[in-house]
Amino acid sequence: MFEELLEDIAQKNGLREVNAYLKLAAGLGAIILCLLSSSYISPLFIAIVLSGAIIILARVNAKTYAELFIVPFWFAIMSVVGIILITGGSDIFWQWNILPSFSLSITRESINQGMFVFCRVIGGMSAMIFIALTTPMTDIFIVFRQCRVPEVVIDLMMIIYRTIFILIDQVIQIYQAQLMRLGYSTYRESLHSFATLCGAAFIASWDAGEDLIRAMDARCYDGKFALLGENRPVERLPCLAVVCFLTLSAAVVIISGTITII
Amino acid sequence: MSSIILEAREIRYRYPRGLEAICGISFHIRKKEKIALVGPNGAGKSTLLTMFNGMIRPDSGMMLFDNQPIQYDTASLRTLRKRVGFVLQNPDRQIIAPTVYQDVAFGPTNLGYSENEVKETVTQALRHVGLEGFERRPPHQLSGGEKKRVAIAGVLAMDPDVLVFDEPTSGLDPSGSEDIMELLDELNHEGKTIIISTHDVELAYPWADRAILMLNGKILKEDIPEVAFGNPESVRTAHLSLPTLLELHMELQKRGFLLKGKKPRTVLDMMQCIETLFEKSGSNKRHGMITICNVDLDNGENLSKWLSMHSGICTGAMGTRAKQCAENLQIRLDFTYGVIDKCILKALLGEDSLILTTESMVKRIYLRVDAYGLESGVNIPMHQLNNAPEAFNEKNGSVP
Repeated sequence: MFEELLEDIAQKNGLREVNAYLKLAAGLGAIILCLLSSSYISPLFIAIVLSGAIIILARVNAKTYAELFIVPFWFAIMSVVGIILITGGSDIFWQWNILPSFSLSITRESINQGMFVFCRVIGGMSAMIFIALTTPMTDIFIVFRQCRVPEVVIDLMMIIYRTIFILIDQVIQIYQAQLMRLGYSTYRESLHSFATLCGAAFIASWDAGEDLIRAMDARCYDGKFALLGENRPVERLPCLAVVCFLTLSAAVVIISGTITII
Repeated sequence: MSSIILEAREIRYRYPRGLEAICGISFHIRKKEKIALVGPNGAGKSTLLTMFNGMIRPDSGMMLFDNQPIQYDTASLRTLRKRVGFVLQNPDRQIIAPTVYQDVAFGPTNLGYSENEVKETVTQALRHVGLEGFERRPPHQLSGGEKKRVAIAGVLAMDPDVLVFDEPTSGLDPSGSEDIMELLDELNHEGKTIIISTHDVELAYPWADRAILMLNGKILKEDIPEVAFGNPESVRTAHLSLPTLLELHMELQKRGFLLKGKKPRTVLDMMQCIETLFEKSGSNKRHGMITICNVDLDNGENLSKWLSMHSGICTGAMGTRAKQCAENLQIRLDFTYGVIDKCILKALLGEDSLILTTESMVKRIYLRVDAYGLESGVNIPMHQLNNAPEAFNEKNGSVP
């Protein structure tokens, strides 16, 4: 359901009509700047600006956005705690010698490093989510074609994209049918049910594949997949906004240099 | 009668390692006919349908299209499939592409149309099924009825002569099914031959020109619906049920009522039967007037003005564009299916009604009402809104 949710939001978001290249430039540019930056400030800046854009410009429900963010957020927190405890340094705040040759410590350097990694994750994530929520896959296909990605690859991607949703539907149906008949009541039972679910899903996808070929044949398939629609025109205002955002972020990257939190 | 377009001669087919699905069937279908293949599950309806566009080749016997035996080489099959469009039962299985536009464009692209031609045919096909503005939507976000329409548009875009539908209304709600049946009527009216398979007797009975009852891979009966469904014995053998109207008609006859005229196919026919039975002295009572509005000629202004003068009038819409027009003007529709009959019924009650329709259907309404007039001797006044916009006064033609 999650994938469907993301695509659904993307299909209806407030920036849907903006040229896909602009949105991709903003998102990918932000990721690259996050990676280039050597201070925690610029990824944080990027995260704040893009989150604002997602919530205000793309009109994505703030709660939905927060929910999306929560999984990578916890993941980042856990990794950062690890980094802070393990990374060594000279300016020690706290130390615990568990074993003679191994100790956990919190140092100035480790806090700086942890904060830096954490902000990078947040910045990169917000850029990824920005692309996912504002640019539907269907628009990305157009970009791929214009970027001369081989036709076969795009055709395959399109068929996969279309089939994912049919398969998900089927898996959900099978899962619910199992759930209704108490298929997941015990551990043993759930193992068995899950195996059946996988088997049934495989057979269903095989069937769907055969039907797909039949459906394509019935419509005179001749190795050509339909042309995609056109990209939206590049408008002045969004273009300006993206340029401003990227220059500003680049400026922040340069100015902030190697500023650390403590 | 027009010429034969599809013909089967003693065809047989057995699934690999399976039952014989088709056991020696012969029939023919004429151009512009509406055919309903009716039978229980597993009667071989779908198998037979897939033979029409060469997806399955019969083991023996011969299939003819346009009086030519069907050839099973790639090139001939392409030509055949362009001319015989097939709409699968499950639209999810038919819709291939990630957007509505791409899916409808699939056929035309593979037929080698140029980019502009593709664009034009797709726009037209989507307009036909009432899905303008859905071009960029992904199919998985659409409702069942909308998906069905996309599937139909995808086939229409190839401009076939024959349209084959496997269970066109399965999985749709009643109003969705009515819309689809109305669309099939519209397509038939444009000169397409339409073949559907169904086990919904009530649906097939009033709609079809001819019904083919199938059972266990054989044809049980092939005739006009009144006859095909008229025999309780054969209907029971085919695991079907009698259409309610026919059953009612039979029960009335059994009770000694002398029902004149043909067997009823619609509620209107039935009303006529019953009314002649009681010979109501209403022959000189005032009948309601049917006003027709051609939405292709009307810009909406006229219509809104007329409606404001006749508030509360019963309104029906025929055809996809008329329904869209009604939606745009926020007109509440009372009828969306079987509109002409329902308006005649209203007129018989002495109430006025309005039909919104498109250019091609105006003539059909006149024909239907005239035919009813001839049959029943009741003259229902009609009036076309666009032809005489100044003739707004209601008395025009409605005074007995």
